[in-house]
Amino acid sequence: MGKYLVKSLLQMIPVLLLISLIVFVLVRVTGDPVALMLPESATEADRATLTRELGLDLPLYQQYGIFLTNAIQGDFGTSFRYGESALPLVLERLPASFELAFAAMALAVVIAIPLGIWSAVKRNTFIDIFISGISVLGKAMPNFWMGIMLILLFSVMLGWFPVSGRGGLTHLILPAITLGVSLAAQMTRLIRSNMLEILNQDYIRTARSKGIFELFVIGKHAFRNGLIPVVTIMSLQFTSLIGGTLITETVFAWPGLGQLLVSAVNTHDMAIVQAAVFVIAIFVILMNILTDLVYRLLDPRIKYS
Amino acid sequence: MKSGLIKTFAALLAAALVVTGCGGGGATTSTDTGTTAAAPAASDGTLTIANGTDIESFDPQNNNNTASEAILVNVFDYLLKNDNEGNKVPALATSWEQTADNVWQFKLRDDVKFHNGDPFTAADVKYTFERLATDEALKQHSYFKTIEEVRAVDDYTAEFVTTGPDPLLLNRLSKMGAGILPSKYIEENGIDAFLKSPIGTGAYKFKSWAKDDRVVLEKNDEYFDGAPKWDEVVFRVVPEASTRVSELLTGGVDIVSGVPSTDIERIEQTENLSVETTPIKRVLQMIVRQTEGTPTADPKVREAIDLAIDKKAIVDSIAGGNGVLTRTSVTPGNFGSDESLYEQSLYDLEKAKALLQEAGYGDKGPELSLSSSSQYKEYAEVVSAMLTAAGFTVNLDILEPSAFSEKMTSKTFGELYMIGIGNSMNDASNNYNRFLASEAAGETDYNNAEVEDLLQSALVNMDEASRTDEYKKVQQILAEERPAIYLFQMKGVYGVNASVDFSPRQDEMFYAQEITPAQ
Amino acid sequence: MAIPTESGAGALPVPPKKRSEARGLKKGLRQLLRSKTGMIGAVIVLIVCLIAIFAPLLATHDPNAVAPIDRLKPPAWLEGGSSDYLLGTDNLGRDIWSRIVYGSQVSLIVGIGAVLVSGAIGAVLGVTAAYYGRWVDAIIMRLADSLLAIPTILLMLVVLAVVGPGMWTLIFVIGATNWVSYARVVRGEVLSLKERDFVKSARMIGARSGRIIFRHILPNVMSSFIVLSGMNVATTIIMEASLSFLGLGITTPDVSWGGMLSDGRQYVATSWWVATFPGMAITITVLGVIFLGDWLRDVLDPRMKLKNG
Repeated sequence: MGKYLVKSLLQMIPVLLLISLIVFVLVRVTGDPVALMLPESATEADRATLTRELGLDLPLYQQYGIFLTNAIQGDFGTSFRYGESALPLVLERLPASFELAFAAMALAVVIAIPLGIWSAVKRNTFIDIFISGISVLGKAMPNFWMGIMLILLFSVMLGWFPVSGRGGLTHLILPAITLGVSLAAQMTRLIRSNMLEILNQDYIRTARSKGIFELFVIGKHAFRNGLIPVVTIMSLQFTSLIGGTLITETVFAWPGLGQLLVSAVNTHDMAIVQAAVFVIAIFVILMNILTDLVYRLLDPRIKYS
Repeated sequence: MKSGLIKTFAALLAAALVVTGCGGGGATTSTDTGTTAAAPAASDGTLTIANGTDIESFDPQNNNNTASEAILVNVFDYLLKNDNEGNKVPALATSWEQTADNVWQFKLRDDVKFHNGDPFTAADVKYTFERLATDEALKQHSYFKTIEEVRAVDDYTAEFVTTGPDPLLLNRLSKMGAGILPSKYIEENGIDAFLKSPIGTGAYKFKSWAKDDRVVLEKNDEYFDGAPKWDEVVFRVVPEASTRVSELLTGGVDIVSGVPSTDIERIEQTENLSVETTPIKRVLQMIVRQTEGTPTADPKVREAIDLAIDKKAIVDSIAGGNGVLTRTSVTPGNFGSDESLYEQSLYDLEKAKALLQEAGYGDKGPELSLSSSSQYKEYAEVVSAMLTAAGFTVNLDILEPSAFSEKMTSKTFGELYMIGIGNSMNDASNNYNRFLASEAAGETDYNNAEVEDLLQSALVNMDEASRTDEYKKVQQILAEERPAIYLFQMKGVYGVNASVDFSPRQDEMFYAQEITPAQ
Repeated sequence: MAIPTESGAGALPVPPKKRSEARGLKKGLRQLLRSKTGMIGAVIVLIVCLIAIFAPLLATHDPNAVAPIDRLKPPAWLEGGSSDYLLGTDNLGRDIWSRIVYGSQVSLIVGIGAVLVSGAIGAVLGVTAAYYGRWVDAIIMRLADSLLAIPTILLMLVVLAVVGPGMWTLIFVIGATNWVSYARVVRGEVLSLKERDFVKSARMIGARSGRIIFRHILPNVMSSFIVLSGMNVATTIIMEASLSFLGLGITTPDVSWGGMLSDGRQYVATSWWVATFPGMAITITVLGVIFLGDWLRDVLDPRMKLKNG
């Protein structure tokens, strides 16, 4: 297991190198930082000076080298919007985004598992079709639309939850639903199809035919085996979950990484974009390794090769 | 194994819940849940205002954004400020006089303390404006370049020396960026420490800033100009307009800015809520390229563009009536305004078509590109459709704001671009810098010797009457030659809870001292 | 492509899957008639396609013609509605029905276009990785890993902020960032096929690599491809809406449902029809595509059940 961990961590290196290259290329083609940093009244000489100071007159490979050396030391440059070092700005947003992402994930699991199982057990009945319909609907509805509707319904009309901002648990509920619903939809469908496959397997059928208490069968055998792919999909969805926060956070004025990123992209504050992409990528990769470990714990048949 | 599985799963869930549960602590909120219908009062000593954007920085000199300054004016004071009629009234300075062509003397208040207890003196004035005038990296630098030196004559007398005669010095000292900084505090602790816990002389002290979330200010009991009205003032950032309005409707905030025109009726119909509007110093306009070889080099084509746009219909529909027609960008309240061009607008579709015929275009009108920032998307779309109806072929190019400003800086727009230009100087010069030959080169390529002479003369003319005449003349010429086509003067539209008394200002500032709890 | 000196395909062993595929298709159609959701999906997709094709006939107005006086008119059947505007008008007085009709074209073009681009990139890279192996494989697959670690929408946001929004840029950006799943599937399939007899014997006869790939391997990965594409058309339509929300969607004169929904969100509380109809159009279309995709998956590739939700 230790060996496996070391190996996966080592495999992160080339991936991160490639990500750094992607980020570097993106930033270099993102227009002219000099024009954005200088006031309108700046002269040509001002421009030339700043270009030199930023090292933008060097050959590209040298620029990349410098960028990489700095990035390894956690230096992604200074956000020109805030005039502060970019990495701390990104890191201070993580708790808010994690809070939202984990809440959405938890919500999705809580919704998806019972619905998925129920749907599978009641296969081809009205309930099954209804649940399938709802879950597809959850996937088919654009995120921001759902967010706005939820605010109108639950905050403005019913007054149950605050409209926006980050605060207590009540502030978390609507954005978590907005973000979690499409996740839950996908999970429900996955759990259903896995459960179906498992319920069809001989030992379960035997158990059921023997009249062993239904819930017991489902709980003991089917559920456990049906859960493994859920763990996988959780790791796969973490990326899209983080992507989803870009939109959900804007709708709910949630002060997380997503809002920071959207405004950074809109103001071409590339230091922040670079730092954020890196932090997200490292996080996603670590999550993948973690879920892989959990996966292996759940399914001892997989060897640590 | 199975119990292991269940445990793992339970642990995962628990972890998620713990993370979600304890994240809530820190932030303060005035939101009151469990209420419906009539918007409740949010106040109890706290004033909460929701804006669409966050402040850029707590360095007033490194901001170029009205929304930021609107908040910072509560922390930092100017030497003198504008009242809502545009008159200069004393603030940290009690009186001022011009002692020579390029020398001004200011008497300062002797009873003012910074939030850390340091007294405010002429040394702070010197530090503030010499930093502005010398540090080219500051976003406000270009507005203060004319200040050559500030002398601290004694603790409470400061003398400004300008590079030449500067009719605008008082305007500069009362505009965005001119808030007085604590020289001793910054010199001792460095600017980074200052930015982390900024202090000024203002009615409100910095308490916290959670980026993209809220700025919290608390009252300064030592304030020299009357006790603060609120214990705390919270400026929230809510980028989505509909979310902002919902916050107002549920009593989450007391004041929201940038209310969409379609929501006005909804707010007005809610008990306890009202909509307040005021014309602001911002005119929505199209800058027109006159470069040789472009269709808009032809004055007839420019006139046709102007005549083809029904500005009144635009104001009445999309702006929800919140706009004032104008043929000049120097609106009343700004120095040099020509009121004969205000509340005027031209629209004559048939004549526009005829002009295009005269200009030699047959069935197929000229092809124009119209660029706009996404902020003014609706307006750009309507204008584009109106131009199309007059026979033009319009290539509409909607850009996100930073791409737009990048293109504007590099002067690479095509025939037309749409922009709302404000005037923090309250002076016509600020509107017309872009038509000086040197600035216009590459952008509009507008070049009129008479206008150039008038503008250059007005920049150093210390005589108010003749200076006004110069700008009026410029306005008349520009209205004919159309290097810019003005659509309308915009209005600030705010939603206000009945628990506060608030009248919006022309300069879009939120002086918390002027916003009071309703009786 | 065929080289005259080589013997015709008949000389090569027939790939085993082809026959079963034809049989599968017939069976599939029968299944489609039985599967209720599959039927619904197929009908929805068919209707959307027909609307897109006959848009000029169905639209009652120029989708971009503004009429400020007629702005925010409710649908015809509501009080204040006019029979001129079936589904009402938007904030600029444009006819919502006509815009939805024309928007279907854009949604389909973007959805299908992006899938074609990402499919093509994915296929080429996947085949290349599997066929040439070693360092080529390593680089391509690490690149795929890297892209997977960055949320697609973030990548697109950055790229679109650079190149500026527009229908064709959107297609290429989505295409260029979404190829990973295709490459993975193709690579996997090719790896397993590579060792199969018919490919081996084709090689022995001396067929060129390119020919082997096109004639024998690609047809075999087609089914996985179609299944993936169904899912991707759906995500692309949603993605376009999200990008519109962030201000980087499709702009005039092209009309997109995502753009309509995003522009209309300001009016949800006051003029519900502005956002609701495009929102419904998106939701129903995506629903149809997903249902159809599910059916395709069941018919073409039962193994995919495990990989996709």
